[in-house]
Amino acid sequence: MKRRVQTWWHVWLAQDGLALVMTAILLATGLAFVYSASWRGEEAGLVGAWFPRQIWWVALGGLTSMVLVAVDYRVWLRHAWWLYAASLGLLGLVLVVGTKVYGASRWLNVMGVLVQPSEFAKLALVVVLARVLGGGAIKPRSFGLMAAVLLIAALPFLLIVVEPDLGTAVVLIPTVCAMLFAASVPFRYLGGLGLLGVGGIAALLSPWGTFLLGDYQRERILTFLDPSRDPLGAGWNAIQSAIAVGSGGVWGKGFLNGTQNVLGFLPHTVAPSDFIFPVIAEEKGFVGASLLLLAFAVLLTCYLRTAWTAKDPAGSLLVMGIAGLFFSHVVVNIGMTIGLLPITGLPLPLVSSGGSFMVSTLAGFGLVQSVHVRRTRREVSNV
Amino acid sequence: MWRVALVSVVILTAWGGLVVRLGQLHFGDNSALHERIRTTRSFQQDIRVGRGRILDRNGNLLALDLVLQNVVVSPDVIATNRAAQAVSARLAAVLGRPYEQVMGRVNRPWRKYEVIERKVKDDVVEQVERLHLPGVWFEPVSTRHYPQNELACHVIGFVNFEDVGSGGIEQSWNSRLKGRAGMRVSEKDGQRHEIYTRRKLQVAPREGANVHLTLDQNVQYFTERALEAAMTNFHPEAAWAIVQEVRTGAILAMASRPAYDPNTFNTFEAQDRMNRAVSYNYEPGSAFKIGVVAAAINEGVVATNDLFDCEKGLWHYGGRPLRDYHAYDTLDVTGILRKSSNIGAAKIAVMLGEPQLYRYLKDYGLGRRTGIGVPGEEGGILNPVNRWHTIDITRIAMGHSVAVTALQMLGIMSCIGNDGFRMRPYLVQRVVDKDGNVLQETQPEALARPITERTAALMRQMLSEVTGPDGTGRKAAVPGYTVAGKTGTAEKIDANGRYIRHANISSFVGMLPVERPEVAIIVVLDNPQPIRTGGQTAAPVFREIAEPVIRYLDLGPVGESEQLYYQRVLAGEP
Repeated sequence: MKRRVQTWWHVWLAQDGLALVMTAILLATGLAFVYSASWRGEEAGLVGAWFPRQIWWVALGGLTSMVLVAVDYRVWLRHAWWLYAASLGLLGLVLVVGTKVYGASRWLNVMGVLVQPSEFAKLALVVVLARVLGGGAIKPRSFGLMAAVLLIAALPFLLIVVEPDLGTAVVLIPTVCAMLFAASVPFRYLGGLGLLGVGGIAALLSPWGTFLLGDYQRERILTFLDPSRDPLGAGWNAIQSAIAVGSGGVWGKGFLNGTQNVLGFLPHTVAPSDFIFPVIAEEKGFVGASLLLLAFAVLLTCYLRTAWTAKDPAGSLLVMGIAGLFFSHVVVNIGMTIGLLPITGLPLPLVSSGGSFMVSTLAGFGLVQSVHVRRTRREVSNV
Repeated sequence: MWRVALVSVVILTAWGGLVVRLGQLHFGDNSALHERIRTTRSFQQDIRVGRGRILDRNGNLLALDLVLQNVVVSPDVIATNRAAQAVSARLAAVLGRPYEQVMGRVNRPWRKYEVIERKVKDDVVEQVERLHLPGVWFEPVSTRHYPQNELACHVIGFVNFEDVGSGGIEQSWNSRLKGRAGMRVSEKDGQRHEIYTRRKLQVAPREGANVHLTLDQNVQYFTERALEAAMTNFHPEAAWAIVQEVRTGAILAMASRPAYDPNTFNTFEAQDRMNRAVSYNYEPGSAFKIGVVAAAINEGVVATNDLFDCEKGLWHYGGRPLRDYHAYDTLDVTGILRKSSNIGAAKIAVMLGEPQLYRYLKDYGLGRRTGIGVPGEEGGILNPVNRWHTIDITRIAMGHSVAVTALQMLGIMSCIGNDGFRMRPYLVQRVVDKDGNVLQETQPEALARPITERTAALMRQMLSEVTGPDGTGRKAAVPGYTVAGKTGTAEKIDANGRYIRHANISSFVGMLPVERPEVAIIVVLDNPQPIRTGGQTAAPVFREIAEPVIRYLDLGPVGESEQLYYQRVLAGEP
C-alpha cells in the first residue's frame, strides 16, 4: 500500500481540488447574497448583523474543516459510539435548557452564541451508521442489522422532532436511506422501508395525525398543497418566494436590485437564511440560479467520487451519508422556495446565513476530504 | 453497477425537477405573477383633511374639529388572555355601561375589532389606560365640536354622522368647510410603508376653509338670554329674534327657541332644529304698517300730520267690517302708527292704491327669499296684485293677507333706518383658507332704495313716538336712547288657514338710536299666553336685547352735527 500522505501539510495538498474550488465558489456566492439580502436600499444601507456574522461563521467552519482533513477519519469511526452518545445527550439537554425561539427549543446558548445540537447530531448519526454498516460486525444483509440501524436513527430523529424541528429530522430519512443503499442492503428491506414511510406520511396527514404533528406543521403541509389557503400568513413566504424567482427572468434584475428582496416582500428575517435562493434567482435570473445548481451538482459528484474511491467501506459510507445530507438540504431548500415542497426551515448549504449549520456543513466537507486524502484504489484497500 | 445507476437517476431526477420548475417560473407566463406584484404593491389612498372652523366676527370659535378617542377592543386577543370577563367588568365600570352590554361585544373571540365606546375624552382614556387591560386600545376619531353648545345653533347647524353639514352654515357652506380630500397612488413595501420614490400620483389635499360669521358671540348671547326669559315669562310656543347692523345689513345675532345642542343633534326633534327667524312665514300684523305708511308718505299721498277719521272703531270697506282694538275718533298719521289704528292704516293704503302698494312691497323684497345663505329659508307670501280681492288692500295695510319672515320684516325696518337703502342681509363675513388667504369676502350691498332719505327720517320720527309714553311700544324704550319701533299682534292662523281666536303672533320690530340708527332688532313670539299683545310681550323682550347690545357696541352719543342733519332732513332742507 502506497502512503500518499507523508507529512502533515501534504494532507491539505492532497485534497479534492475540484470540490475545494466548488465549495469556495458556493461560499463566496453565499457571502455576496447574504449581503444583498441584508441590503435595504441606498438610505437604509445594510441592516442587521447577517453579513459580518456570516464571515465569522465561514472562518470558523473553514478552520473546523481544516482540522478534520488533517485528522484521520477512522479516529471518529473508532469513537463513533461516544460521539453518538454525546449527541443524544446534547439533544436531551436542549429540550431541558434550550433557548426558545418562535416556540421551538432548538438552540443551546453557549456563551451568548446560539448553537444547534441537531447539526452535530446529524454528523454523529452518519459516523455511527458508517461504523455499524461498514464495520462488518453484523452481516450486512441480516434483518437484525436493519433493525439496529433503524433504532439508532430513530433516537436522534425523535428527539429532533419533539424540539420541534421537522425539517432537520426529515433530512435524516434520505440520508439513512442513502447509507443503507450504499451498504448493499437488500432491496426488499428498502422497499419495506419505503412502504413504511408512505404509510407514515399518510397517517400524519390524516385526522389522527394531529396527535403527532403540531398544528403549525400540519398547517404548513396543507398550505403547501394550497398556498392561497392563507395568503397573508403561512402562504406568504411561499407566494412571495415564487414571485421573486419568477420575476427574475433570464438574466435577473441585477445585484442589489431585486425588488422582492430589497423592498422586504421576502421577509427580511428569512431572506438571508432559508430564503437566500429566491434572492439569487431574482437578482441573477435563470442563468444565475442554474449555475448555482450546477455548482451544487459538481460538488455532489465530487463527494460521490470520493465515496467510490474510499479506502474502506466505512469511509465510503461516511461520505455517502454526508452526501445524502448535502443532497437533501439542497433539494428540500430549493424545492420549498420554488413551490415544489412544503416550507420547512431548512437552509441552503454553504450559501445561507447560519451558524451551526455552516460549521456542520464545512465539517462534513472536511470529513469527506479526510476520506479523500486517504483514498487508495479500491482493489488495494479491499485486499 | 445498478446501484450507481440508481443513485445517478435519483440525483438527475431531483436536479432535473428543480431546473424544470425554475424554467417554468422564469420563462413561463409571468404576467400573472407581475400582476400579483403590482396588486400587492400598489395602493390608492385618500388623504383626509380637517373640516374648517366656524367663527364669530371677533374670531371666537363656534364650531371646530376635535380629536377624540374610540375605545376599541380586540376580542381575539382578550380571548387568548382568558380575560373577557375581567376586561368587560372593568370597562363597564369606567365607561358607566351595563356589564352585559360590554360583555356582549367583548365575548366574540372570532372578532379582531369591536368598538366599545365612541368619542370619549382624554380623562376617560387616562382612566382606561391605568387599568392596563389586554386587547384594549384607542382609535383617534375626528369629531365636530360646538364649544358654545346651544348658542347660535340654528345659524351654525351641525354635521351628520357621514361628516356632511346638515343644517345652517355647516350645510350651506359644506363644500368650503370640508375642503377636498387628497389622493395618493403609490407603492408600498413588505412592511406596508410607502416607497416614496415610486409615487405615481399625488393630488394635494385642500384643507377645509374657515368661515367667519357676522354674528357677534356677545350680541348673540344677549339675544338668546332675552328669548330664554321670554319663554319663561310669556309662555309662547316659540320665540325668535334677529339683530341686524343697519348700515351694512350684516346679521349680529339670529336666535330661535326652542333650541338644540348641535353636539348631540340627533337627540332633538326636527322642530327644535328649525331656524324660525328665516324659515317661519307669519302674518306680521300691525308691524307691517310701517311699510304701508312709508310708501304713502314717499308717494306724497299723505303727510305726517294729515288727519284721518278713524270711524270710532268700526269701518266697512268692500262690504266687510274692519275694527280697531281701541276706538279712536280722529288721528293724524303719526297717531295712527302710535296707536296702531287698523282703520287709519287701511284708509292710507286705499289712498295709495293697489298697484303702488304692490310695487313698494316688491321693493321691500317681500314674496321672495333674501338669499341670506342658510338652508330652509322661506320667502313669505305676497300675492300678485291682480289676484287681490277688494278688501285685501285694507287687510295688507294691517299686516294680514300677507306673510313675511322675521328677516324680511326686519329688512323693512332697516331700510327705514338706512335712509331708504335696502341692504342685502348676510351672515358670512369672509371665508379664509388655512394659509390665511381670503377666499371670499362679503361687501355690503344695496339692493334697492324704495324710499327717500326724507321719508325715512319722517318715518323714524313718527316711529319714535311708538315707544313714547302713550305709544303701544312704550315697554321697548331704552333709557338714554330714542327707539323707533312698531308693535305687531296678528291673529294666528291654524293649519286650515282659519284665524284662531285668542292666539297671536306677537312681535316688535325697532331700531336705535333714532337719529342715526345702528342696530335694528326684531322679536317675534308665537302665541304668548296669557298676555298676548306685541306691546306687552315682544316690546319688553326687545328692550332686554337692545339695552345690553347698544351698551356693548359702545356706539357713543349721537353728535351735534348728526342731530342737526337729522333735523334738517326732517324739515326737508337737504
